[in-house]
Amino acid sequence: MWRVWLLFDPRRALIALFTFLFVLALVIHFILLSTDRFNWLGGHSGPSATPQHMSMLPDQAKP
Amino acid sequence: MANERTGSLSGLTETEAKEFHGIFVTSFIIFTVIAIVAHFLVWQWRPWL
Repeated sequence: MWRVWLLFDPRRALIALFTFLFVLALVIHFILLSTDRFNWLGGHSGPSATPQHMSMLPDQAKP
Repeated sequence: MANERTGSLSGLTETEAKEFHGIFVTSFIIFTVIAIVAHFLVWQWRPWL
């Protein structure tokens, strides 16, 4: 297995690997932040994952 | 020695390749352990399946 480093230059391989992992991590974190259940910064719904009543306005249906 | 260095495409000798491979494998194992711990903690927080 160590023979791969005879084929691929370790410096370029490391730069490519780190770049790929960084972009992948960034994508995954932003996808999770965009969800309601797995947003760890502003998520209001807990494990139930049911949408909460977010409206700041009073209920217009009732007189 | 010159033929040994120019023999590989990357320019590494076999000794250098083996040495780098050891560091690479060790780093990969550490990274994997950290990732497993992180996934375990997130699963405890909110399981996704």
